[in-house]
Amino acid sequence: MMELALWLRATPVSEAIRALPWLWPLAESGHFVGLALVIGVAGLFDLRLMGVLRHVPVAAVKALMPWAIVGFGLNLATGTIFLVGAPDQYVTNIAWWAKVGCLCLAGLNAFIFETRLGERALAVPAGGDTPGAVKVVGAVSLLSWLGVLYWGRMLAFIGNAF
Amino acid sequence: MTDWLLWLEQSALPTWVRESGSVWGYPTVLTLHTLGLGVLVGASAVVDLRVLGFARQFPIASLPSLTPAIVSGLVVNTLTGLLLFAADASTKAAQPVFYLKLGCIALALVATVRLLRLVRQSPDDRALALAGARRWAGASLGLWAAAITAGRLMAYL
Repeated sequence: MMELALWLRATPVSEAIRALPWLWPLAESGHFVGLALVIGVAGLFDLRLMGVLRHVPVAAVKALMPWAIVGFGLNLATGTIFLVGAPDQYVTNIAWWAKVGCLCLAGLNAFIFETRLGERALAVPAGGDTPGAVKVVGAVSLLSWLGVLYWGRMLAFIGNAF
Repeated sequence: MTDWLLWLEQSALPTWVRESGSVWGYPTVLTLHTLGLGVLVGASAVVDLRVLGFARQFPIASLPSLTPAIVSGLVVNTLTGLLLFAADASTKAAQPVFYLKLGCIALALVATVRLLRLVRQSPDDRALALAGARRWAGASLGLWAAAITAGRLMAYL
């Protein structure tokens, strides 16, 4: 893994990222704006799946979800800039692997929701309670996104701090 | 001014936050500040985006339900922000970008509070548009993003 990281670090793209001093802070700012969209929009949807804010139909909250995807896309793009710019400092950091683990859990959970529970959940009207399985998927989603945030923040404090 | 900042920075709790090396010190306060940012700006963004005309299925009458999330995020970030400032008071007080961040937050709050009032008074999208709510929504969205950027730049400038 380290060999791959060192190879990536030596590529012209990686060198170009490190050669632009303003790019890293700018990408970090974008990463935090994306974070707010994911927590605010996906978090709100998760809470509705868990049975909070029942006066809103599930489908109405789902209508906001493209903005969570915008936030996630922004974070995937800026996150790729960090990874390509300094791959060695991430692949050797346990907190980064924990963050990737939480991302995979969130992704798998979203896949299960979309393929197995989505239709049932979206049919829940204003005032309606969600089935137990939908509540579990909502809770797993919320916890895995909070895990992504926690381990992302811990990158600088756990393992090889940078 | 400097005396006061040094006294603050050297008092017990800020010193512990900065120097304990405990995961419960600086890392936890900073993580809570990030979580508060997500809740405060994320919930405000939901109101802003709905008023700007996205996700029209979402009932306008339900938007004020987001107020408790906005207030909780603001409370958490005011408390953790005071601690983070106290832990490095003399450095942060000397950073122009810190005052830019505070200014953006103040203006963003004005826009968000104003917008929530218009939302409570407006029964539908047409009424919101006539009341000029979209301008406040756009201002709120832009000012929160500017506050985040200024906050991030505190680590560099």
